[in-house]
Amino acid sequence: MQSNQYSVKVFETTISDEQEFKEFFNINYTLFKDHLILIQGEMSDDIKNYLKDKKLQYLQNMNLPKGRSRKALEKEFKRLEIESAVTKQIAEAELKKLSHKLQNNLTVLDGMIRSGRELNIDGDLLLLNRVNSGATINTTGNLIITQVVEGAIRCNGSFMMLTASPKANIVFNNVEVDNSLLENRLNRVELKNDEIIITPVLKKEINWAL
Amino acid sequence: MGIVIAVISGKGGVGKTTATANLGLGIALNGKKCVVVDFDIGQRNLDMILGLENRVVYDMVQVMEEEANLKQALIKSKVSPNLYFLAASQTKDKSVLNSKKVEKLISELKEDFDFVILDSPAGIESGFEHTIEFADAAIIVVNPEVSSIRDADRAIGILDSKSAKVKNGEEVLKWLIINRIVADMVESGEMLRSNDILEILDIKLIGKIPEDKGVIDASNQGKPVILDKKSIAGQAYTRISGRLCGQKVDMKNVEISDSGLFKKIAGIFK
Repeated sequence: MQSNQYSVKVFETTISDEQEFKEFFNINYTLFKDHLILIQGEMSDDIKNYLKDKKLQYLQNMNLPKGRSRKALEKEFKRLEIESAVTKQIAEAELKKLSHKLQNNLTVLDGMIRSGRELNIDGDLLLLNRVNSGATINTTGNLIITQVVEGAIRCNGSFMMLTASPKANIVFNNVEVDNSLLENRLNRVELKNDEIIITPVLKKEINWAL
Repeated sequence: MGIVIAVISGKGGVGKTTATANLGLGIALNGKKCVVVDFDIGQRNLDMILGLENRVVYDMVQVMEEEANLKQALIKSKVSPNLYFLAASQTKDKSVLNSKKVEKLISELKEDFDFVILDSPAGIESGFEHTIEFADAAIIVVNPEVSSIRDADRAIGILDSKSAKVKNGEEVLKWLIINRIVADMVESGEMLRSNDILEILDIKLIGKIPEDKGVIDASNQGKPVILDKKSIAGQAYTRISGRLCGQKVDMKNVEISDSGLFKKIAGIFK
């Protein structure tokens, strides 16, 4: 199929006074001779003949599809752009929140962290040894340390698991944790509704025989 | 080929130089050929403790700069023919050391001696790094107090990352000496127990040395305390030297005071 596509200029009007209409076209004929004339409402045979004489194309009571102005288009485009950026931002923030709950970039270390060492871990860390006085550990994710901590810990994940560490300096999501609260063999430190909650995982209990 | 042992501590004043002098002499008295090298350039002390202060003609730096040869610079001990001493320069500073010269010197010493013991400077700067760089083993000297433990921990960390052996994928042997233990204070809980220290540092214990006032006098006189058979610190150094020479020497618990034990026995007869 072959087709052509082009734009047409339309002069849309209603006729209330036939004489006035004719006079208007007599004066402005050169301006509108290439326009499509669209008459909304009634039109008499007299007008039809007048238009035919002038060789003007006309339509009556039609709903032509209107293109929008350039300005309106630009405005609409901008709105969509902002909307998509906001959606993207929200999605990223949600993903970031979720990523801490996932086991992302889990690092497992079993060496002793000696004084003077600074570990910067992107993601979660499982450490199976001591953190000595003078060492620092920073994580963006969750942190589990199975032995005593005497150094400094900076954790920005959603939870930590720590043993009782009376000499440690612990900062969890920019809040310093009172390490006297870590009184059990293993403690879970969580962030829930902007509150730090410490719950014992393994209590020091005596298992009596029957 | 001998073994190169660096004596390190991190913190100053814990007894590195005393330990170096006594262990060197102890090893020599066990019949092994031993050389002790003072790496504390600019602040040498080992010559005084060994009583060889007035014998120093050439020092280690002059050997490395090839102003003197090694045989000229090695000083023979008055006490044991097996013990030799190489002095540090007192006029230069640590910046004169470089890896290639240190490696050459140590490999030469290794050929002639069974034990090469390097007395490291305190701290963790370049002088310390050069001492540990080509060592096969390290003796870490600590006092039972938190600051000494933390500094030793840091020194071990650097040893584990900067030693040439570790870079080749091998392991540097690490032995711990706990120096200046006061049994009464350990019993009363004022002083750290050796088990606590071992838990923090996680290395092998080679000996515990009790506090002994005789050490200061021995150092001042230039007669290492190991020569005093009655000294409890001297006895401890004798035990450690034996262990370094491969003998099986039982660990003596110096963390129980004699008076305490006496009191306990006396208590039974009350």
